[in-house]
Amino acid sequence: MNTHPNQEEDFDLYALGVLEADEKQSIDAHLVGCTKCAQKLLEARGRIALLALAAPSVTPSVATKSRLMKQIRESAERSTEAVGQSKPFGELFSRWWAAILVPVSAALVITSAVLWTENRRLDQQLASLRADVEQQREQSRQAREVADLVTARDTMVVPLAAQPGMPKGAAHVMYNPKMGMLMYEGELDPAPAAKSYQLWVVPELGNPISAGVFNPGNDKSTHFMMKLPEGVAPKAFAVTLEPAGGRPQPTGPKVLMGTVS
Amino acid sequence: MTDERVSCSTEQRQQVNPETAAELKASDAALMERVMQRDETALEALYDRYAAILSSLLNRILHDAQAAEEILQDIFFQLWRNAQRFDASRGSLPGWLMVIARNRAISRLRQHNPARGEELQENDIRLPFSLESAVIRHELLERVRGALDALPKEQRSAVELAYFEGLTQSEIAKRTGDPLGTVKTRLRTALGSLKRVLQP
Repeated sequence: MNTHPNQEEDFDLYALGVLEADEKQSIDAHLVGCTKCAQKLLEARGRIALLALAAPSVTPSVATKSRLMKQIRESAERSTEAVGQSKPFGELFSRWWAAILVPVSAALVITSAVLWTENRRLDQQLASLRADVEQQREQSRQAREVADLVTARDTMVVPLAAQPGMPKGAAHVMYNPKMGMLMYEGELDPAPAAKSYQLWVVPELGNPISAGVFNPGNDKSTHFMMKLPEGVAPKAFAVTLEPAGGRPQPTGPKVLMGTVS
Repeated sequence: MTDERVSCSTEQRQQVNPETAAELKASDAALMERVMQRDETALEALYDRYAAILSSLLNRILHDAQAAEEILQDIFFQLWRNAQRFDASRGSLPGWLMVIARNRAISRLRQHNPARGEELQENDIRLPFSLESAVIRHELLERVRGALDALPKEQRSAVELAYFEGLTQSEIAKRTGDPLGTVKTRLRTALGSLKRVLQP
């Protein structure tokens, strides 16, 4: 086994891919028998991978996700066809026929019934597909807003800390006044019976503004996104414990609190 | 979470719907398990979580929105098809995706086309931070951008040529006209500074 690399940065240079072939070969040869250096290289690769985050934000178009999901569905259909798992069309209705329609009815009646049923099924399928598309559009829009909020350079993050004597927990509020968006992400013990937690935006001027009422489940975590009220410059965010359903203005104790620096 | 809301007007409220909220909370490993069971919504959730980061990286390297979107789509399609190749115990999913995206984009720049799925074999990327939380993703974005912004211009440029264009030290020296020794020193110093900032 040859010697350890001279300097710690050699691992980062290796991970960055800037070493010349002979320099890389020398480290490769050493790594074969040195688990300590292999571990250092692993850490360096993780650090270097983070440089991806320095790229200026470019949110992908909605069409890319639609194309991806279409491609996945088409590939699934192809593989289903390939293994011959598709059912003959008539089988779908055979039980229905047997149970409802009297055998040996006039061919016209049967045909009409089948056509009517098929038409109805297609109508229902169409309505269901329309609902799916709407739901996917809404989810895409929400996902895009989360991505925009996360990647925007002017998004502010305010940590909310647990207050003395209150249930344990911690949270963050991310907000972007320009985008008018606010995202809450945190963990809190479930609220006591008949109580809810309520998030408040505390503006520079005026009364606190409710930004959502929530009741964490057993996993304690809560995520939600809100529109930040227009023209409001927050100076702090707070979570209070309120009667179930919340109140127009805070009445209960502060559970979490964070000020905008 | 309760449906009851107070004090916000309907226009102001924009609750993440229950399905989306559940996906926001799920860990990468849990979502990958579901992807392996052919759950499309799990893949969508991973796409929603990481596509913006990958898109930014691909566009930075390629300067070609169409090519970037083609590669982005293909990376997630390969992830769908080859989900079993990812081993959560060996590395982090976003680290894996970022390395694949960078390799694919640089290969495209250099007109080298690796066999499909070939680069998915690179799995041992352990990020020093988890990127599952939106807040941590945002904080880390700021931290990495701040760390690069804080470097002297020549050092930053050398790191960017290496990372975003895939150049070696001698190629950077040729590109910038600086002596090779100078380039090596710049990169070494820059990586030392970045290492200090990017430690957990």
